[in-house]
Amino acid sequence: MIHEVLARPAPAGAPAASGALAIRDLHKSFTIGGAPRTVLEGINLDIRPGEFVSIVGASGCGKSTLLRLIVGLDDDYRGEIRLDGERVSTTSLDRGIVFQDHRLFPWMTLEQNIELALLNTDVPKARRAQIVAEHIALVNLTGFEKAYPHQLSGGMAQRAAIARALVTEPKLLLLDEPLGALDALTRVRVQNELQRIWMTQRSTMLMVTHDVEEALYLGDRVVVMAPDPGRIRRIVEVDLPHPRDRAAPLLHRLKDEILAELTAAPSAPSNLVHLPGREVR
Amino acid sequence: MNALLSRSWIRALIGLIAPGLFLIWWQMQAQAGGAHALAFAPLQSVGAAFVELAVRGSLFPDMASTLSRSLSGLAIGGTLGIALGVAMAIWRPLDRVLNPLLQAIRQVPLMGWLPLLGLWVGTGQGTELIVVSLSAFFPTLLNSFEGVAGVERRFVEVGQIYGFTPLQRFRLILLPAAMPLILTGLTQGLAFAWIASIASEILLGVGGGLGVTMQLAQMQQRIDIILVAILVTAALGFTINRLFLRLRQHLLRWQAPLR
Repeated sequence: MIHEVLARPAPAGAPAASGALAIRDLHKSFTIGGAPRTVLEGINLDIRPGEFVSIVGASGCGKSTLLRLIVGLDDDYRGEIRLDGERVSTTSLDRGIVFQDHRLFPWMTLEQNIELALLNTDVPKARRAQIVAEHIALVNLTGFEKAYPHQLSGGMAQRAAIARALVTEPKLLLLDEPLGALDALTRVRVQNELQRIWMTQRSTMLMVTHDVEEALYLGDRVVVMAPDPGRIRRIVEVDLPHPRDRAAPLLHRLKDEILAELTAAPSAPSNLVHLPGREVR
Repeated sequence: MNALLSRSWIRALIGLIAPGLFLIWWQMQAQAGGAHALAFAPLQSVGAAFVELAVRGSLFPDMASTLSRSLSGLAIGGTLGIALGVAMAIWRPLDRVLNPLLQAIRQVPLMGWLPLLGLWVGTGQGTELIVVSLSAFFPTLLNSFEGVAGVERRFVEVGQIYGFTPLQRFRLILLPAAMPLILTGLTQGLAFAWIASIASEILLGVGGGLGVTMQLAQMQQRIDIILVAILVTAALGFTINRLFLRLRQHLLRWQAPLR
């Protein structure tokens, strides 16, 4: 199979030149009850510009902590996180994030919530309204510009949060279980939408999820993490072109394989080797 | 039944049942004769006193001065309360310095300040305004502090992500997030200012106002005028409170309705 990631034609007008993330020997610990507790250990990960990478793992394996470090909300770590060669130490408009809770400001309308992301960009004021309208259309929320968050459904609010994160055209978009709170049907719809947006915007995306199927459906690669302390167990390539067919046999094989690994006893040695085409059961 | 209750005029009518029963009971007491008649003026003489006060007396100037005293006190005390409460919540050292002092001052009932203020600034309108402002100050201060101190971290983080300046963080996150409690503080401040206005007018008897008229009527044993002043106080207080709640509802229209 060829790497579809590299073979895809660049869409018109999309900034695909940068957005390379490099993580080297990342180590993070918290002090809990006076004792240090390691939450991330020896994380090494390279993400190519324009790539979609999913991270799965049991709860407590430091997935969300990893994203908080990458986005720059926490700079207390050892090792290196670099975006296009520049070390991450604080937040920047180059890196966007969508949280599990949509975090729209309840006191602002949908439109105002998205426009606030542009406040400190150099986008001219006259262009902002139009850019906001385009992004509202991108997530299919046209007609709800003046709605307050409490008037939106969970799925709509989450799509609005995605629009807010995209409007600054970040080189890297981090998604922290963005669809975790949605019901199954809404979830599938927003997944499709996310895939479509990624294919049009072509920015680098890194998504944390606890849903293996979602991770495989969207990701060019899936990073499987192990807990206590959080570390990368293995990285699975998903060699399928986008947009993908949910029924693809490869996705199902990989899903069974990853699930088996995640639910195996922690001490048992893993005898699974990465072979995308391998039959497991 | 619920459909019936949702009609606003029916709800208003139901709200009038208790006051109506009270007035009937009152009238029966007034007509019972004897010692009762002195304490309970019959409704027709209360009505006559109302007309007398409204046409020839001081009713409207009284309403105006009590109202303006309350609202000026709310403006002064409320502004200071919001400013200090917000400042203490944003800059915690200020809270640690001032909190014990403010908590101690708060323990002294408002009227407890009158003797001291009387010596400092005299027993004039200035003292009345200071007492009213103080009474509006504390509820606004405490609620504004709680409001800003309780702003959720997850919202502040959104500001961090989009590179908000401290001023943007204050204007777009802290202030609106604290607004429900700031308005609660102002609503309580308004009620306290109203009570303090009437009380200080009764005690000091200067500058005109419903309380001043009550006190004069008591000296002249005009129970009918006392009752008019009480009824007008109740109605006016009720009305401005209602208007304030409307304003609050409008400012907080972004909140999900409670039901």
